[in-house]
Amino acid sequence: MTGPVVSYNTFVVAVGVAAVGFAAGVVGSLCVLRKRALVGDAAAHATLVGVAGGFLATGRRDLATLLAGALAAAFAGLGAVVLLRRFTRTRDDAAIAIVIGVSFGLGIALVSGIPAWGYADSAGLEQFLLGHTAALTAADAALLAGVACVATVVVAIGLKEATLVAFDAAFAAASGWPVAVIDYLIVALVAVMVVAGLPAVGAVLVTALVVIPPVAARYWTDRVGTMLLLAGLIGLVAALAGVAVSAARPGLATGPLVVLAAAAIFAVSFLAAPGRGWIARRLQERALADAWMQGLVLAACRRTADAADGTFARQAVEAAVAGDRADGRRAAGRAWDGLVRAAALAPVRGAAAAWRLTAAGTALADARRRRLDAWERVIDEDPDGARESLTIDLAAPETAAARAEVGGGP
Amino acid sequence: MTGAVPDPPQAAAPGPPLVDFHDVTVAYGRRPVVWNVDFEIDEPCLFGIIGPNGAGKSTLLKAALGLVPTVGGSVRFCGRPLAEVRARVGYVPQRETVDWDFPVNVMDVVLMGTYGRLGWFRRPGQRERQLARESLARVGLADLADRQIGRLSGGQQQRVFLARALAQEADIYLLDEPMAGVDMRSQEGIFRVLAELRAAGRLVIVVHHDLRTAAEWFDRVALIDMRLVATGPTAAVLTPDNLRRTYAGHIEVLEELGRAVAARGRTP
Repeated sequence: MTGPVVSYNTFVVAVGVAAVGFAAGVVGSLCVLRKRALVGDAAAHATLVGVAGGFLATGRRDLATLLAGALAAAFAGLGAVVLLRRFTRTRDDAAIAIVIGVSFGLGIALVSGIPAWGYADSAGLEQFLLGHTAALTAADAALLAGVACVATVVVAIGLKEATLVAFDAAFAAASGWPVAVIDYLIVALVAVMVVAGLPAVGAVLVTALVVIPPVAARYWTDRVGTMLLLAGLIGLVAALAGVAVSAARPGLATGPLVVLAAAAIFAVSFLAAPGRGWIARRLQERALADAWMQGLVLAACRRTADAADGTFARQAVEAAVAGDRADGRRAAGRAWDGLVRAAALAPVRGAAAAWRLTAAGTALADARRRRLDAWERVIDEDPDGARESLTIDLAAPETAAARAEVGGGP
Repeated sequence: MTGAVPDPPQAAAPGPPLVDFHDVTVAYGRRPVVWNVDFEIDEPCLFGIIGPNGAGKSTLLKAALGLVPTVGGSVRFCGRPLAEVRARVGYVPQRETVDWDFPVNVMDVVLMGTYGRLGWFRRPGQRERQLARESLARVGLADLADRQIGRLSGGQQQRVFLARALAQEADIYLLDEPMAGVDMRSQEGIFRVLAELRAAGRLVIVVHHDLRTAAEWFDRVALIDMRLVATGPTAAVLTPDNLRRTYAGHIEVLEELGRAVAARGRTP
């Protein structure tokens, strides 16, 4: 497939949508950190009413008019959530669900009804449902990019305040910060970014642009600032990917493609991120379990060792470690092989099936014994403190710090 | 958000009490949680607010900080409403109230203590970082400044919160159950810092539920079970009679009550 040369218009649209993707990720991070991920969804589903309302009120269907209507409706929807919560004592999640359902129903009814009511020139409103970037002009894209830049700058200016409230609202309130005002500002920014994302992603899916990039970014970093930047970049890449594919394949709505791209990045993050990723965590769990098991095997080697020459048989050791657990035998075998690879165990020359501890193995077994003894002492002397400092990673190097941590080794 | 900062409190200074709980009543719906609590704290000391679970101790503290609405009454600091003297009041919330998986490190959290004085949009600079490092050193966590907060033990998390309060450079500290779920060693560390604050002329108010340690740690206490049972010097307040009135109906505490009374007998 040979794509067409990118026109000026396509280029400007791509830049505008990329800016929106970036800002949505940045703003969405605050929302996710404040545990308000669903707020964007309520705003998004309300926008359709505003798109239809903007058209009905003015008879115009230029982007600025329709988005102004959408923003008004998004604020109205969020206001409805607050009012429902306060006056009907509906819980947060239920209030959001009610607003999503009702406003979306109303929006669909209006958008589908408008052509039937004989309005000329109403085509295109339904594009706000799933997003369609092909219809955007360069001027539209410039408007979106401008909104995205303003939102990003606002976050950059207020990051200190937003982080404080998101982390510890009670402390923020006690030190005099207007927590409710800061919360409303965060929510308002989310509403703005949801509206800015409408032309590209559409009302149904735009919330994904606010939620998925931050969640994916969280896997790669433990710092707020880095997380916001990463979320922005992920949103940018996802938005660009969606726009590119949809431009190359006319007829494919942009929204689903953007969301799928973001989901793919999330999947990679969730699986492969170092530290927090699923694979890294499983590997670490497994390494800890293996190390623990190796300790048990070393102890069993000494227990089953022949009194005269200190040799032992693999069968006896594995049986002693595994007990009657079905999977114990395999785990013990893996630990044994690991110890052999580490040259802690060696076969005795000339004797069939007889093994002995090498110098390294003896040192390892002694170190483990010392650590266990130290732990025993700590647990006896200071039950609470012991619980705080205990770790099971016997394989960790026995440093002075580690000895100090368990209350002073030999 | 600093406002005018009056002189620091002095032990024998005449004038309004440091903290004045005046007929404070808090209710959740129709159910009262704090009932007409009225007492004053006149001078810097280690002050314990003691009572059984659900006695309204934390609620009283939150009411003083304006975090929960009162039905009636008021709390004044140095004779003024909180809004005028916020910079002088430090706060340590309960540890469970925040998400410890939040993407910040120890230094970030302690720096939050300086935000109140910094005000809107100003970022912490050299002075604030220095203050945060000193605060961390005082609670014994100087070498954990870069650690993600989720990778701390419970006692370390509590000490991070205490360091954040130290960075507020306040004159009056309010701590909500700082010893809950904390090992003995961290408890002693925290208590040592609180004693230093007292020695420096600060008032430290601690919501606390452990009678055993209350008897030896606090100079003065208020026994609270929804209403104020008694307040004054610890030895005068923690009498068997007062404790019985406070913990009436809390059978599980009876044993602890016995220990507390015994401990009081040992330390005059």
